[in-house]
Amino acid sequence: MQHFSHIALQHYLAVGAVMFAIGLIGFMTRRNLIVMFLCTELMFQGVAINLIAFGAYHGNLAGQAFVIFVLVIAAAEASLALGLVVLLFRQKQTLDADAWRELRG
Amino acid sequence: MPGYTSPHSFLTLGATLAQVPATAPVPADAGMPGTPVAPVVLMILCAAAGVATVMLLPSRREAPLRKVGGAVLLAIGLIFAALLVRWTAGSAGAGGGGMGAYFWIFSAVALLGAVRVITHTKPVYSALYFVLTVFATAGLFLLLWAEFMAAALVLIYAGAILVTYVFVIMLAAEAASPANPAGGVERVSETDAVSREPILASAVGFLLMGVILFVIFDKASDLPRAGDAHRNETAQLARQTEPATDVEAHSAAVMPRLEGATQQLGAYLFRNQLVNLELAGLILTIAMVGAIVIARKRVIVAPADEFAMPSRAAPEIMHAPATPIDDNPHSIPVYGTLNPRQKEYPET
Repeated sequence: MQHFSHIALQHYLAVGAVMFAIGLIGFMTRRNLIVMFLCTELMFQGVAINLIAFGAYHGNLAGQAFVIFVLVIAAAEASLALGLVVLLFRQKQTLDADAWRELRG
Repeated sequence: MPGYTSPHSFLTLGATLAQVPATAPVPADAGMPGTPVAPVVLMILCAAAGVATVMLLPSRREAPLRKVGGAVLLAIGLIFAALLVRWTAGSAGAGGGGMGAYFWIFSAVALLGAVRVITHTKPVYSALYFVLTVFATAGLFLLLWAEFMAAALVLIYAGAILVTYVFVIMLAAEAASPANPAGGVERVSETDAVSREPILASAVGFLLMGVILFVIFDKASDLPRAGDAHRNETAQLARQTEPATDVEAHSAAVMPRLEGATQQLGAYLFRNQLVNLELAGLILTIAMVGAIVIARKRVIVAPADEFAMPSRAAPEIMHAPATPIDDNPHSIPVYGTLNPRQKEYPET
């Protein structure tokens, strides 16, 4: 924590926020299903940076424990999402998310 | 909290670390001076970055325009970083250098990689830039004393998840369209080349980013410094468990960080988060089963075709017809007969 004397909590929070925003923009703009899921992983990264920074700031291990669970959820989400992507690709032979427009509610 | 001592040693360790700068000659104005960026400047920078991102996102524009967008975005990032550096130097007095340099390098690499992930037109390159971002983020975790999380991030993300992504990208490569039969590696599909609603998405994203950054820098400037927070919390804990922390503070001072934070993390997980840990394992198991069920290939072969070409199949391959509903366990091909339904299932 000694480096917090010049790199403060806010720096890490800012990096996490910028990464989250970049991932959000990517998720909204890209049409490739795989790249969309990559962008959700980017958002996970931003949140993980925030959690680790807060954990180091408060000097306890709750932040790191929470990031472990975030990693678990990310791994589960990646496996399920990629399985779904393969399934969708087999049906329409395209990765375009717009090909599934009829799914809107 | 009896029987729960290891995190305390971590806390006292943090306190001893935090006291190092306190005993060193600290400048009088150790508090954070104001906000690094005026809100108006922050919003202007975010708006300009949004415009640059719109230019940079993949579309059917000419390449030079995208280059201009990238240059503008890079310049805005540098301006913002310079403002932050100036503010950091002002807040730390004559400090600076040291581990701060690594923070700037790692965060710059992470954010550049993140921008390339969302702007590259080829999914494989996006995945590889994401690996770069993961490595830089692991570096940031190292700076925050989270060694185990850094290693786990590299192993899980760069080692496992990204390999799966790359496999799926190659598995689901789109066939050459009849309009462009040349196909090949150079062709970028329409899906990747044109982004959807770039202006709206950039506006929303950078508005969110500006607001979050404003809150972080404006409202968090009156937070206590990390060392103070440590000392306060550690003092409270020391009041609660007086004798234990005394010994541990002594041992921590004698043998700093001999017992790694990884052991403490494991002890914390298995003492305080045991149920959650088991639930995490359960979630992973369910996800694995679900992924297998979702992505299983359902072979639909017309029976006529199947019986027409048994000669072409290798002799060890069964010639049982695959039924249209392969989910039915009774349709599993049975050795010794051509019709799987001939086998009796007494349980039905």
